[in-house]
Amino acid sequence: MIILENIQMALQSLKTNPLRSALTLTGIAVGIGAVLYVVILGDITQQRINERLESLGSNVLLIRPGYSHMRGVRTAENVVNLKWDEANDIETTSNVIIAAVPRYSDQGAAEFKDQNWNTRVTGTTPEYETVNNDHPIAGRFFSEDELNRRARVCLLGATVHEELFGNLSPIGESILINSKRFTVIGLLGAKGESWSNPDDVVFVPLTTAQERLYGVDYLSSILAQMRSANDYDESLFDIETILRRNHRLRPDEENDFRVRRQDLFLSAVQETNQEIANFIIIIALVSLIVGGIGIANVMLVTVTERTREIGLRRAIGAKKLHILTQFLVEAVILGIIGGILGTVGCMGFNYFFTGNGLNVPLDWIGYSFIICSGIGSIAGLYPAFQAANKNVIDALRYE
Amino acid sequence: MSENIRTMLIEMNNVFKTYVLGEVKVPALHAISLKIEDNEFVAIMGPSGSGKSTLMNIMGCLDTPTTGTYYLGRKDVGSLNDNQLSDIRNTAIGFVFQTFNLLPRSSALRNVELPLVYSGMPSLKRKQFAMDVLERVGLNDRMMHKSNELSGGERQRVAIARALVNKPSLILADEPTGNLDSKTGEEIIEIMQKLHEQGNTIILVTHEEYIAKRTNRIIRLRDGVIENDERI
Repeated sequence: MIILENIQMALQSLKTNPLRSALTLTGIAVGIGAVLYVVILGDITQQRINERLESLGSNVLLIRPGYSHMRGVRTAENVVNLKWDEANDIETTSNVIIAAVPRYSDQGAAEFKDQNWNTRVTGTTPEYETVNNDHPIAGRFFSEDELNRRARVCLLGATVHEELFGNLSPIGESILINSKRFTVIGLLGAKGESWSNPDDVVFVPLTTAQERLYGVDYLSSILAQMRSANDYDESLFDIETILRRNHRLRPDEENDFRVRRQDLFLSAVQETNQEIANFIIIIALVSLIVGGIGIANVMLVTVTERTREIGLRRAIGAKKLHILTQFLVEAVILGIIGGILGTVGCMGFNYFFTGNGLNVPLDWIGYSFIICSGIGSIAGLYPAFQAANKNVIDALRYE
Repeated sequence: MSENIRTMLIEMNNVFKTYVLGEVKVPALHAISLKIEDNEFVAIMGPSGSGKSTLMNIMGCLDTPTTGTYYLGRKDVGSLNDNQLSDIRNTAIGFVFQTFNLLPRSSALRNVELPLVYSGMPSLKRKQFAMDVLERVGLNDRMMHKSNELSGGERQRVAIARALVNKPSLILADEPTGNLDSKTGEEIIEIMQKLHEQGNTIILVTHEEYIAKRTNRIIRLRDGVIENDERI
């Protein structure tokens, strides 16, 4: 009842000094806007990482060549020691690894008519499709037969498709990769950009890549699919045993290859992102505190200006508590309006830059509401106490 | 208030009020004993510094006596705490000030409603009450005007309406004509006389002899003591 009256009074008094109110609100609005924006960005990154995690699955290990060591000194990166045989070896020998997919990736120039695009060419085997859970959205993956025949067929990633064909269907078209003619048989779905672009790629059969395009006999990586994520230790042991034996490493030599769990790597990326976001949120919170000081300042001025009004209200029956709540409500409303403006501003800003206007997470709108009213009430507390404890007679005569 | 059986509204016994300014004690009221009955119309006169403002403040429950007792109705004002004083000001006393003390950007109606807000009356009933008293002071066509759009006389009538709206047992007017020209001042005094005839108890502080003459009783103060108390 009295609170409702107070809200009405507060709105009226804010209207009385529009410029002053607006300037005060700005501090809070900028602060809360910044906090929300960081949250939105964090959410978007998080979402992308999650999508990647899902598409990779949590039971895939990435084996890459390591460094060779001479007497404890790391010399050059040794990129030629992983072989296709070893992938087969791992797949057949280990009980816990159900598939080992060899890959060779290199730079390549793709051309279609007068369009050309520098991209990454990845040669692999048909198993890649199921292990990496990466199915074509049009056309098909290449077959075992095409792999054996070193067929000149390819699948395009979304970026390459867009650069060469725009909106046209590429299936069945003929393109040049490093000046060699290939037929496009499939198109892969977009995975979205994160720290690197997984869509900027052309897939060809491994044999084609190794023998026709690049003339190499080694791999750039092997994707090993474990039976389940719990088999990590045993899988690692098997991989190390097989590769160390094949590479004839003495017991005192370090591994000349690296094994990484994709999901753990992504978790690390995710953690870093979160740390950066937290840091920015702290900075934004500082601007919120500055906004709160602005509210406190304006409330102190208001209380002094309205000394006579306070005296009158007390004379006609307002209790100290009434005066206290009146000014407290006013400060809280300043905070809340600032919060609303900040939220709207943040959505507008986000819309302007990303085209997605309304994706501020609901729970964060709730938090910002609580934060803003909290700041308002803390900022308003001291001025409101001053107002409530004014001597009635002096206040009535205040000039 | 209405359940008050005694006809004595104000009863002061040996009231002293002393202000402490730094190390100096300034006596403002000295052994004031005073009785005012229901439905009296009293003027308090006296030169500056005679203690009439202090007396008004105590009568209006804005201040309490240093020593001595003050009964308003049956309530011993000296024993009340801050909240109880607020309540008694809200329900038993109506103030009219020399400088009107209206909220400038609020309508006349809103100003008159204000005491009822603090007594917790629901909004609709409040508006009705406020409209009724505004009509009684002849402002039925100016209710929605903001108070800074009104003339001095109209403002003081709004202030009187505000003082009346809670049906107080005592109306305290502190130089109500002090900021008005004599013609408008006359109108205000006429309103007060009418209110007195309708049964209200009014105490007014004034400098003007001719205004004091319109009341039924003049109490003259000098140096904090009652110099003279005469019924006309």
